[in-house]
Amino acid sequence: MKDLRSYVRYPAWIVGEFISTPLWFFFFALGVTLFAPTSPSSTSPQGGGISFFFFGFLFIILFGTGMWGIGQTVRNEQMAGTLEQFFLTPASRVTLIIGRWARLFLTDALIIGYTTLLLYLIGGGIVTLNDPGLFVFSLGLYELGLIGFGLLFAGLTMRIRSYNTISNLVFFGYMVLTGALFPVSVIPVPFRYICMIIPFTYFNDLVRHAALATPTILPGTLEFVIAILLSICMLVVGFVGFKKIEDEARMRGTIATN
Amino acid sequence: MRTVSGYKATVGALAAIFWKGIKHYTRYPGSFLLVLVMPFLFTLMIFGMGQFVGGSNASVNFAARTGTSNILVYEILGSAVWMTSWVVVEDVGVALRDEQMKGTLEQNFLAPVNRFTLLIGLSLTDIVITSAVFVVVVGVTTMIVLPTAFLSLLQAFVILLVGLIPLFGIGFLFAGFVLRFKEPYVFTQILNLLFATLTGTYYPVSLLPYWVQFLSAALPQSYVVEDMRRIVLANQTLVSLYGSVFILIALAVAYPTLGYAVFKRIEKKASVTGEFSKY
Repeated sequence: MKDLRSYVRYPAWIVGEFISTPLWFFFFALGVTLFAPTSPSSTSPQGGGISFFFFGFLFIILFGTGMWGIGQTVRNEQMAGTLEQFFLTPASRVTLIIGRWARLFLTDALIIGYTTLLLYLIGGGIVTLNDPGLFVFSLGLYELGLIGFGLLFAGLTMRIRSYNTISNLVFFGYMVLTGALFPVSVIPVPFRYICMIIPFTYFNDLVRHAALATPTILPGTLEFVIAILLSICMLVVGFVGFKKIEDEARMRGTIATN
Repeated sequence: MRTVSGYKATVGALAAIFWKGIKHYTRYPGSFLLVLVMPFLFTLMIFGMGQFVGGSNASVNFAARTGTSNILVYEILGSAVWMTSWVVVEDVGVALRDEQMKGTLEQNFLAPVNRFTLLIGLSLTDIVITSAVFVVVVGVTTMIVLPTAFLSLLQAFVILLVGLIPLFGIGFLFAGFVLRFKEPYVFTQILNLLFATLTGTYYPVSLLPYWVQFLSAALPQSYVVEDMRRIVLANQTLVSLYGSVFILIALAVAYPTLGYAVFKRIEKKASVTGEFSKY
C-alpha cells in the first residue's frame, strides 16, 4: 500500500509510463517494417510478426519490473534515507521487497492490457493464446525466476555504486541475447552459445511457445523441465545472495552507502 | 581584483562550467560508457528483429525501402543522432533540476554570471561528449563496414555540429519547463522517445503519416539524420544539401532564441513566486 500510495502521488509518472511504454513498442515496430516483405503475398515470420513482438514487449516490461522495480527498492530507500528504518522493522526484508513487486505487477498488467487494446484499435489484431494453461504456468516460472533475479540485484545495490549503468547494460543485454525481441536462431553461432546459458532465454521461449505455438529451442519436455529447475534455482540464489550481501553490509556498516 | 563582467569573465565562467561537466562525466565513467554502448545495442536489436521479420530477403526489402543495403551504417547513424539529442536533453534540460536537488541552484543563480552563459557552459560539455559519440559510434562503424566513406565523415560531423545548436535551444526550453513543472525525468523519457520516433532514427520519416511528418520537419534531428545518411551512404556533399543546411541554420537561430526567451520568462516568474528551491 505504501508503494501504491507513493506511486499515485506522482501522477506525472503514471501518465509518462502509460505514454512511453507503448510508444517504445510502436517505435521498434516501425523500425522493423523496413525489413518486412514488400508484397503482401510474401510469407510472414513464424509466430506472426506483430504477436511475436507483442510478447517481446511483454517480456521487456516484466524484466524491467524485476530490474528497476524489485532490484531498485533498496537503492530508492537508500536515496530517501529510509533504508535503516526499513530494515529495522520486524518484517522479513524479502517480504518488504516482494510487496513492492505486487504493486509493480498490478501496474504492469494495466499497461499490458492497455497496449493490447491500443494494438487492437489501430488494426494490429487481437492477441490470442494458443495454450492458456501452459501460458500461465510458464509465465509463473518466469516470474519466480525474475523475483530471484530482482532480489540478487537488490542485494547488489548495497555493494555497487554504478547501479544504473550496470542495470541498463543488463537490460539491453537481455533484449538482445535472450530471444525477447527476435528468436535466438537469428544470432550467429558463437554468440548463440551465450544466449543458451542465460535462463531467461528458456523462460521467454516457453512463454512464447505456449502463446503462439512457436517451436521450442530444446525438445519441449526437456525445456519445460529445465525452466522449472532454473526458476527454483534462481529464486534460491536470489534469496541466499540477498541475505549474504545484506549480512556483509551490516557488518561493514555500508547499508546506507550510495 | 576578479572581473565579474566582460569578455574574460564570461570565458572564465564558461570554462568553469565546462570543466565541471567534464569532471562529472569522468567521475561516473559508467554513464559515459552507456552513452557509447547504447547506439550499438539499439542497432543490434533492430537488426536482429529485422532479420527475423525479413528472413533471407531482409536486406533486399530494406534496400527497396531506403535505397541502401548497408543496414548497419544506416541504423548506426540514426542511433548516434538519437543519442546526441538524448545527451543534450539529459544534460542541458535536467542540469538545473540536479542543481535543485543538490541545493546548489540558488548559489549558481546568485553568482554574477549571465544565465545565458550558464546554459551555454552546460552545452559546451555536450559538444565534447557528442563528438566522442560520433567518433566512437559512427567513426568506428564506418571504418569497419564502409571504409570508402570514411572521408565523408568530416562533412557528416559538420552537419551534426550545426544540428547541435537548435538542439541546445530545445534544451534551454526544456530547462525552463523543468524549473516550472519539476519532475523532469518523465518528460525526458517521453521527449527522448518522441525524438526517436519523429526524426527517423531507424526508418525514413516518409514512413510516418503526413501529419506526423509536419512535426518531424520542425525537429533539427530529422535533417541531421537524413543529411548524414545522404553524405555517408549516397556520396552527397554539404553543397548539394544546401536546402536542408539552410533550414538547420534557421532552426539554429530560432530554437535558442525561443528557448532562452521562455527560460527567462519562467525564471522571472519563479523568482517572484519562490519556486527555485521547491521540488
